[in-house]
Amino acid sequence: MTLDFAFLLAGPQAAQLAAGLATTFRLFAGAWLLAVAFAVALAVLRAAPLRPARWLVAAIVEYHRNVPLMVQVLIWYFGVPQMLPTALRIWVNHQDSEFLFALIALALNTGAFMSEDIRSGIRAIPPTQMEAARSLGLRFLPAMWLVILPQALRIAVPPMLNQTLMLFKNTSLAMAIAVGELTYRVREIESETYRTFEIFLLATVIYLTMSFTLMGLGAWFARRFPPLVRA
Amino acid sequence: MKLWIGAAAMAAVLALGGGTRADGLADIKARGKLICGHTQASEPFGYPDATTRQFVGFDVDVCQALARGLGVGVELKAMSVEARIPELRTKRVDVLAAILGYSPERATQVDFSHQYYVSNQKIMVKSDSGLKTLKDLAGRKLAGSKGSSSVAMAIKLIPSANVLSFQDSPSAYLALLQDKIDAAMAGELILARFIRQAKEQNQGTLEMIAEPLFVEPQGIGVNKGEPALLAAVNQVLLEMDKSGELQTIFDRWVGKNSAYGFTRAYKVEPIPTN
Repeated sequence: MTLDFAFLLAGPQAAQLAAGLATTFRLFAGAWLLAVAFAVALAVLRAAPLRPARWLVAAIVEYHRNVPLMVQVLIWYFGVPQMLPTALRIWVNHQDSEFLFALIALALNTGAFMSEDIRSGIRAIPPTQMEAARSLGLRFLPAMWLVILPQALRIAVPPMLNQTLMLFKNTSLAMAIAVGELTYRVREIESETYRTFEIFLLATVIYLTMSFTLMGLGAWFARRFPPLVRA
Repeated sequence: MKLWIGAAAMAAVLALGGGTRADGLADIKARGKLICGHTQASEPFGYPDATTRQFVGFDVDVCQALARGLGVGVELKAMSVEARIPELRTKRVDVLAAILGYSPERATQVDFSHQYYVSNQKIMVKSDSGLKTLKDLAGRKLAGSKGSSSVAMAIKLIPSANVLSFQDSPSAYLALLQDKIDAAMAGELILARFIRQAKEQNQGTLEMIAEPLFVEPQGIGVNKGEPALLAAVNQVLLEMDKSGELQTIFDRWVGKNSAYGFTRAYKVEPIPTN
């Protein structure tokens, strides 16, 4: 069997791939930003001296860690809109609801995992720092924001990079609800042309290239902002 | 750099894996067994029977008839829709009777036998939607299942429509019931089943647009460069048509002895290539 990539240039396939890559990137970048914000909020709430808030965060994190991501995506797309009032539901269905719900599901899932990484970062900071900050008159949130988090986030960079890579690959699950991302386009091209080996090899190379780029960025960030304390 | 070495190694493995040259028909006769691939979850073509857990269906019967016609035994292999072409091209199966719809582009990768089934790809809408013809679908949101030819054809035939493909046909059906899309596309057999199901479960009245989106001939898939095997398969199919064996299989799965009650309007003949 010979591999022949020339067919990509002959038809509309190159444009299909480019569109898929662009959607994958939008999905990844959007979900990552939301996930980091959500993770920081969860980690801070979990460290707060408020028992109900800690239970709530624990429940959210366990749900996202223990239910398969594919199921979470399907629940957001097929389940959640059914609970909305009719007018709102029809409005949502006429938007780009596939992309929107995939984005939400991916962001919440990744955020839950990242919040655990940030939590361990926070626990690596000696508790006396918090006590010192509070005794200087800072309230809980400013003490967290100004003193603890800047250090905790640096410690959490390597595990958060892991989650980032997972998120990047997990964007492919969005194809289950018809989001036209890279894997979706690859499967589409495969079905149209039956050039299974060529197109999946190409997809592998694209995913690897993007993952290596992310790893490089992560390594650069870890060097540029090394942890300040050795735990 | 490492990456390219890896990719090159993969390509080499693939090239070696499929590189052996032999006459497929002679191999089958020497082995005394035809290895025939069929789908595993496509009722009524290839799916597990609910009580016996054996794979049954139109394509399974065709596999058995093919082997009988060639005068050999049969080994059935169930596979997913995505795995069909790799299984054939790496020669883990001799032939595919696996709802293989013909298109000129696909025919550059595998050879198609004469048609042994012709499916009408249709569009299903909610009865109260007011959508009656293919023209009404301009600018609407349509969906089918991934890997199906109806999705590819809809993009070509109704360019203004927003065409999506879901994981499988039941997802597209659910999306239609929930008003996420305006129309769902699939073969008329699947759609007939969904319409019945929606009625039985009181989930709404659905109907098919009478005019088919397109008509898709299905053939047996044979590897390129196997003229002897392809000719033998065609010969057996023609004999099955003449002897009434194909009619029996048709009636059993989609014709008068099935829930679909279709009548056969095609015969075994070369697929028109245009």
